[in-house]
Amino acid sequence: MNFKAVIIGGSAGSFQVVTRILSSLPNNFPVPVLLCLHRLKHVRSGFVEALSLKSSIPIEEPNDKEQLKPGKAYLAPANYHMFVELANRIALSTESSVNHSRPSIDLSFITAANAYRDKLLGIILSGANRDGAAGLKAVKDKGGITIVQDPNECEVKTMTESAMQLTKVDYVYKTDEIIRFLSKIK
Amino acid sequence: MVELGIVDIREIIRIIKKTHDIDFSVFALTSFKYNLEKVMNLNTIHSTDGLIRKLTEDPDFLDLFLNDLFTPSTEMFRDPSLWRWLREEYFPKLPERHFDNFKIWFPQNVSGAELFTMCILLQEIDLLQKVKIYATVYSNKSLEYIKSGSYPLKKLEVSIENYKRFQGSEDFEKYYTMKNHEAIRDTSLISNVEFIKDNINLNKTLQNVKLIMYRNVMIYLNPSRQNEMLDKMQSCLSAAGNLIIGTKEVTRTSNASALKFDIVNEGEGVYKKKI
Repeated sequence: MNFKAVIIGGSAGSFQVVTRILSSLPNNFPVPVLLCLHRLKHVRSGFVEALSLKSSIPIEEPNDKEQLKPGKAYLAPANYHMFVELANRIALSTESSVNHSRPSIDLSFITAANAYRDKLLGIILSGANRDGAAGLKAVKDKGGITIVQDPNECEVKTMTESAMQLTKVDYVYKTDEIIRFLSKIK
Repeated sequence: MVELGIVDIREIIRIIKKTHDIDFSVFALTSFKYNLEKVMNLNTIHSTDGLIRKLTEDPDFLDLFLNDLFTPSTEMFRDPSLWRWLREEYFPKLPERHFDNFKIWFPQNVSGAELFTMCILLQEIDLLQKVKIYATVYSNKSLEYIKSGSYPLKKLEVSIENYKRFQGSEDFEKYYTMKNHEAIRDTSLISNVEFIKDNINLNKTLQNVKLIMYRNVMIYLNPSRQNEMLDKMQSCLSAAGNLIIGTKEVTRTSNASALKFDIVNEGEGVYKKKI
C-alpha cells in the first residue's frame, strides 16, 4: 500500500485506542501520522507527554509551517486547527471552532485530503460528536482509503456512526485490525 | 458550499494584484483557500467568476472582502497564562522611565479581541492612561466593528471562562452590556487607542515601539513573508523592545529572521529585539 500520510481523528474514548495504535507502530514507520484529537482548549501541556509514554514513534505538537517527516506523529495543538499545507507542511489556524471543536477533525482531514489525495489513509475512532464525518468523506472523495473503528468496540459510537452515515467507508475495523492494516504500509 | 481549486485561487490572486495592487500570493495557500471560500459563502458568491466580478466591478466590496478574509483573533484573554505573565512579570518589572513614552502596537486587528484584552489588563493595573496604544486595521468595516464594541455571544462565553483563568480583579460583566441578544464591549476602554488604516504590506509602521502584539497573524503567511514581517517588527521595536506572537507560531529553524530576537518566554511566545 502506497500512502504519503496517515491521519487519525478521535474524541471521547479514543485515547486508549490511539495509545495502542502508536505503541504498535514500527519505529521506522514509513509515513507521517497526523493526530487530530479533541482536547481541552485551555490545557496546552500534558497531552503529548501522555501519548508519548507508550508510543514507539516520536510525537510532537507542530509549530506552524513545520515540515512533516516520516516516522513521526503530529498532534494538533490545543486551541489551534491543524491544516496540511501543500509541500508537506503543517499550517496552523485560529479560525472559529467548527462543530464546537478547535482543533476540528473535519478541517484537518479535508486539508490533508487536498494535499495527499489518493495517497492518504484516514481513520476515525471513538467520539461523541459528528466532527470527522465530513472530513472522512473528503478523504474518500479524493480517492484515499477510509477506516472507522468498529462502533461496537467504541466507548462512544456517535463519531464513527456519523462518518459511516455520510460515507461508504472502506473498512470497519476493531483496534487490532487497524493495527494490522497499518503494519502493512510500506 | 464553494470549493476552489488552485487554478481558481491563482487567478483570484492575479486579479486582486492587477486591480487593487494588493499581493495575496504571500499568504499560506491552505488557509487562504479556506478563507476565500468563507468569504464567498458569507456573501453568497457561487463561482470564481462571481467573486472576480465583485472585486473588479463593485467599489464597496474590497473593504468588506478585507474584513471578512482575515481571521479574527479567537476570543478575549486567549492563553490566560500569557496575560497573567504580562500582569505579574512583565509590566511590574519595567523601569518607571519606560512609561514616559510607552508605545504598544497591534499591527493587525479584525475583531479587537486582543486589543480589548490588553486594555482591560492595563486598566486593572492602572497603566491604561500611562501608555499609548496603536492599532492597525485593513478595512473600514473592521474599524467600525471594533469601535462599536459589538461581540458575538459565543465568543463572549469563552472570553468569560478565559478571564476567570486569568484571575482578573473585576467581575467580567463590568466590561460589557447586553443589547438585543448581543454583547457590547465597553468602548471607553479603547477611547485612547489610535487607529491606523493601512494595507496588508504595513507601510505605515511606527518607530520605537516597546511592545508589539502580533499573535497568530503570521500563521496565515508563507515562510518568506513571515521572515519579512519579523524583520519589519524588528525595525519598529525600540532597543530591547518586545514582540509577542502565537504560542505555536514561527520556528527558529525555519524562520531565519526569528534569530534576530532573543527568547524571553518561549512558552508564551514572548521575544525581545536583540541589541
